[in-house]
Amino acid sequence: MFEMLSYEFMQRALIASVIIGLVCSIIGVFVILRNLTFIGAGTSHAAFAGVTLGYLINQNPLSLAVLFSLITVWVVGFLSRRGHLKLDASVGIFYSLTMALAVLFIGLMKVYNAEVYGYLFGSILSVTQSDMLIILVLGFIVLSLVYLFFKEFHFITFDEEMAKASGIAADWLSFLMLTMIALTIVISLKSVGAILVFALIVTPAAAAYQLTYSMIRMFSYSIVIGIGSSVGGVFLSYWLDLPSGATTVLFVSAIFFLSVIFSPKRGRLTSI
Amino acid sequence: MKIIEVKKLGVKYGGIGVLSGLSFDIEEGDYIGIIGPNGSGKTTLLKSILGIVRPDNGSVRIFDCACHKLRCHHKAKIGYIPQKGQIDPNFPVTVRETVMMGRYSSIGLLRRPTGRDMDLVIDALREVGMEGYIAAPLGHLSGGQQQRVLIARALVQQPEVLLMDEPTTGIDTPTQHSIIKLISNLQKDLALTVLLVTHDINMIIPYVDMMALINTKLYAVGKPSEVLHEKTLTEIYGKQVIVTTKEGGTYVIVGDYHYV
Ligand SMILES: Nc1ncnc2c1ncn2[C@@H]1O[C@H](COP(=O)(O)OP(=O)(O)O)[C@@H](O)[C@H]1O
Ligand SMILES: [Mg+2]
Repeated sequence: MFEMLSYEFMQRALIASVIIGLVCSIIGVFVILRNLTFIGAGTSHAAFAGVTLGYLINQNPLSLAVLFSLITVWVVGFLSRRGHLKLDASVGIFYSLTMALAVLFIGLMKVYNAEVYGYLFGSILSVTQSDMLIILVLGFIVLSLVYLFFKEFHFITFDEEMAKASGIAADWLSFLMLTMIALTIVISLKSVGAILVFALIVTPAAAAYQLTYSMIRMFSYSIVIGIGSSVGGVFLSYWLDLPSGATTVLFVSAIFFLSVIFSPKRGRLTSI
Repeated sequence: MKIIEVKKLGVKYGGIGVLSGLSFDIEEGDYIGIIGPNGSGKTTLLKSILGIVRPDNGSVRIFDCACHKLRCHHKAKIGYIPQKGQIDPNFPVTVRETVMMGRYSSIGLLRRPTGRDMDLVIDALREVGMEGYIAAPLGHLSGGQQQRVLIARALVQQPEVLLMDEPTTGIDTPTQHSIIKLISNLQKDLALTVLLVTHDINMIIPYVDMMALINTKLYAVGKPSEVLHEKTLTEIYGKQVIVTTKEGGTYVIVGDYHYV
């Protein structure tokens, strides 16, 4: 147990998984309560397209993932706000468009690059020093924004129109929230990968939602579940020599099903 | 003093006009019922006054400012109670948190609620008779109790104007009456200007000073006795409407003797 902690890659993996678990589980609460699950899932594919472009043109993959996912959430958010297109439809378009770009960029690579697939399926044990820096900086930005605008986010999540009517800058804060979701996805890309990243955002919060009627408790439960499964996933991955993305998602899904079984809201699951 | 001025207001959704050529003024302290069938544009009118919906034609002004350009300190003076049903009963929020949200825009960005805000929350809950439920999850309350909490949320802003959208839908009849009484008492006690939107004419006839009948256009505005004419109502509702007086009260019966 302690011998594994002496490896530098393992220390990095654990620190990264704590930050990722924390950020994802907090953002997840907003995603669940505002029904933004689909937009998040679409954005993770955009982030992956950014990663593949990064490898193709020899730029930092995570920076391009930031760029791609920000463009996606902003355009999708803008289209749905202007009433041009239903949110689901525009996310659906971006979902496949960005995946097509990813396939294209991979096809354009002259050599097979195994690292790219790390971003698709996750491999937290390979987090590098520079990945770590990006995770720390973006994690700090997201958590600070949540802290600074917590009461406004709470209000627009409860009822955006009422918030707007009472003078809260709801449009602006909604875009900020989409931005935070995009950054959170990028932070988690390396750990659980583009395909599974959304489990780490949605599942802890969905489990917490089963267990309480208080917003503050929902955040606390979500954080405990999120960090627990993110760290637990790393240990399982190390011990069983399995991909970290898979172990993390299986771990958190198990907690979710337990929380449904023990939920005081049983029978209301359909409402999320 | 004139507090709201609606001038030739026109609103379109995707090219289809839902309001057109509405003009009327509301004086400070007026208690006005906005009446019309479903889909007649009542909610849209409230949203235009709130500045959430921009007019395509004409103008809406409140406190002598164009509604869609209102500053925060003006918005705080307008309490809004949206049509219920827009609130998810499972949403994790307590009564205290719900009412406190009414303080947020006055508290301002980057600041936290203080003890004074908490006192105002408790006062507002007392006004609506819900002080005993301060720690309860909003989703655990009955429809009428939730409505009272939302009224407290509007009151905590210390508003001058109250805009209410169908405050009695989805609530049993005795509770509907108690909600309307509560609103009417608050209107008097706090000298509020109140716009009450409803499709239930009979419910509000005994309480309001004025009524506006709308269905895309404004058909009539004035004292209930002046505007409740069978001919106008029949035109708005597209069904035979009968206006009767019984025991000194006025009642409106639409179509197949359904009360509206
Ligand atoms: N956001 C919207 N987009 C398109 N049409 C809308 C929108 N909101 C309302 N409408 C339409 O405008 C008309 C008036 O709606 P509304 O103001 O809600 O009426 P009421 O509150 O009197 O029932 C209805 O036909 C409704 O379908
Ligand atoms: Mg309406």
